[in-house]
Amino acid sequence: MDAIKERLNAIPSHMDYKGQKLAEQIFQIIIIVFAVVGFAWGYVCEQFVQTVYILVAGFILSCLLTLPPWPIYRRHPLPWQKPRDDSKEVSQKESKKTGGKKKEKSK
Amino acid sequence: MNTVLSRANTIFAFTLSVMAALTFCCFLTTAMNDHLSPIKIDVNKIIVKNVQDFSTTRDKNDLGFITFDLQADLQHLFNWNMKQLFLYLTAEYTTPNNKLNQVVLWDKIIRRGENARLDYRSLHSKYYFFDDGKGLRGNQNVTLTLSWNVIPNAGTLPRISGVGAKTFQFPEEYTPGNARI
Repeated sequence: MDAIKERLNAIPSHMDYKGQKLAEQIFQIIIIVFAVVGFAWGYVCEQFVQTVYILVAGFILSCLLTLPPWPIYRRHPLPWQKPRDDSKEVSQKESKKTGGKKKEKSK
Repeated sequence: MNTVLSRANTIFAFTLSVMAALTFCCFLTTAMNDHLSPIKIDVNKIIVKNVQDFSTTRDKNDLGFITFDLQADLQHLFNWNMKQLFLYLTAEYTTPNNKLNQVVLWDKIIRRGENARLDYRSLHSKYYFFDDGKGLRGNQNVTLTLSWNVIPNAGTLPRISGVGAKTFQFPEEYTPGNARI
């Protein structure tokens, strides 16, 4: 089980923020459109079960469009800074940290 | 919305909310219906006996036997929000013992899609017509009404009485023994 979980977690599924917003708009619009069409069709057919079927079809379609991380949701990646790899800077940071800790203890 | 599970959760919750809103709209489309319909009842044989009612006290109570005709066309009551109709035939009368008595004699469930045009002749009652005491013999004013309980897909469940009731009288004498109708 753990091996399966690890493999599942290793598959990248992230979207950037603009992509998430786009995904949310897409599924909301799809489901609402299918709901309106389904309601009209059910009213015409005099069967409420047709409305439910059409709404479930809309749900499946929006799942297919927004659950996997398609490339359109990754068009605006966050501009992270490049990682800096100076060991000198790391040791300076450590001494600053310990200095700060000592001050807090004396309080 | 960063992970697949989070997105799936959001989409599913949104779908359920939309489904609830659609069900409410379905209720709104039929909320103004009055579910009325004319009906026709006739009574054929009327007999009253005095027998011991084993479900109550040791006294003998009046037991009525009737057969009736029933015609009604309830097809127009069914719509996309109507799941089934529960029909019941009630006999209503007054006795010196009780001011108002209502006894259900017969019932039927009509589901959507089944035949809703009723045409029964000489139908026997389904349930015993026992009285609480001896108030049926010679009772001049026993009224039969057909009512239905509306069971929708979404909404309230009102009880509506059909338009048209039949009043009849019980004979003054008991029919003895095991006389069958």
